[in-house]
Amino acid sequence: MPLDYDKGAYPEPPRQTPVVDKQTALPDPAVILSKLFFYSVDLPVTKFRDAVSSIRARNKTVYYHQKFRRVPDLTECQEGDYLCYYEANMQWKRDYKVDQEIVKIIQQRMRACQQREGASFEQNCAKEVQQFNEVTRNYQSRYGDLGGNANARKCLMKQKERMMAAQAQNA
Amino acid sequence: MVGMSVLRSVAAFAARLSPLKNRSSSVKLLSRTIPQTNKVAVRWGHEKKVFVIKATRFYDHRFLALLRYYTLLTGIPVAIFVTCVNVFIGKAELAEIPEGYEPEHWEYYEHPITRWIARYVYDSPVKDYEKMMAAIQVEKEKADMRLAQLEVRRQMRQKGDGPWFQIPTINKELVDNSPKSSPDH
Repeated sequence: MPLDYDKGAYPEPPRQTPVVDKQTALPDPAVILSKLFFYSVDLPVTKFRDAVSSIRARNKTVYYHQKFRRVPDLTECQEGDYLCYYEANMQWKRDYKVDQEIVKIIQQRMRACQQREGASFEQNCAKEVQQFNEVTRNYQSRYGDLGGNANARKCLMKQKERMMAAQAQNA
Repeated sequence: MVGMSVLRSVAAFAARLSPLKNRSSSVKLLSRTIPQTNKVAVRWGHEKKVFVIKATRFYDHRFLALLRYYTLLTGIPVAIFVTCVNVFIGKAELAEIPEGYEPEHWEYYEHPITRWIARYVYDSPVKDYEKMMAAIQVEKEKADMRLAQLEVRRQMRQKGDGPWFQIPTINKELVDNSPKSSPDH
């Protein structure tokens, strides 16, 4: 089976299965239907999956997440050193992708929280919502309107504009 | 109509016109039967049409049949192959990189077909990166040489002591100065 998800980030809601309190001798249709579903769908599917897994277990392979070395930033490159520019740009692109995935994960957590809590999500999900707001605000300020052809240089210029605006505001 | 007399024709006309008398569609007179045209079974309703006339669907059927044939000709083997790969080989599992081990570039992908393509068809990403860096280096050297050439041109034209921008003049030793050697020549 695939790895389980992070139980801390997605806490399971408390079980709400009612205690069985049967007061009639008539058969329970819910139990009948669930057993029908089990024997007609669940059991064959599980058997098939186990069979396929046992065949696959003979040819097991692994894959890894690639770890990239850190290279000098765009700010640490000499002017005219186009190789340094290229490496810094590639590193920036990788970091951009990582940041996009981070935002997606935070968004997923907020949605899961809202789904879990139901009608009372405004008070129970405050932490997730605040985290999401902060992360998206930061993402917007850093990568916001760079467009489709974004590169490290444009992002650096945007940072420069931000710093200039902050300085103008402070002064 | 030659043998018909006037009386007979009037009797035939009257027999035609009589709607209340005979129910059969033809009235038998003495000489011959006269069809009563108002009694023929005229059907104005919607019976099932046996001879239906409509536009041809031959070319449409043929096109769709050929489309299905040619897509399934390679589609079915490819689908069987991919199913077999997924059932018998299966996807790779994520693992931590062991200490001191440098994974090959195809070991970073999950699906076995992607791994095969990355291993045998594509160049490794490191090689692609180095190819790009080599191209950048070549272009950089070209740009630097062009800038240097412009600077050298400027300096040589300005100072005039270099090999470029030399305009060849005539040899002063070959010039005959005798016309100008004395003032009143």
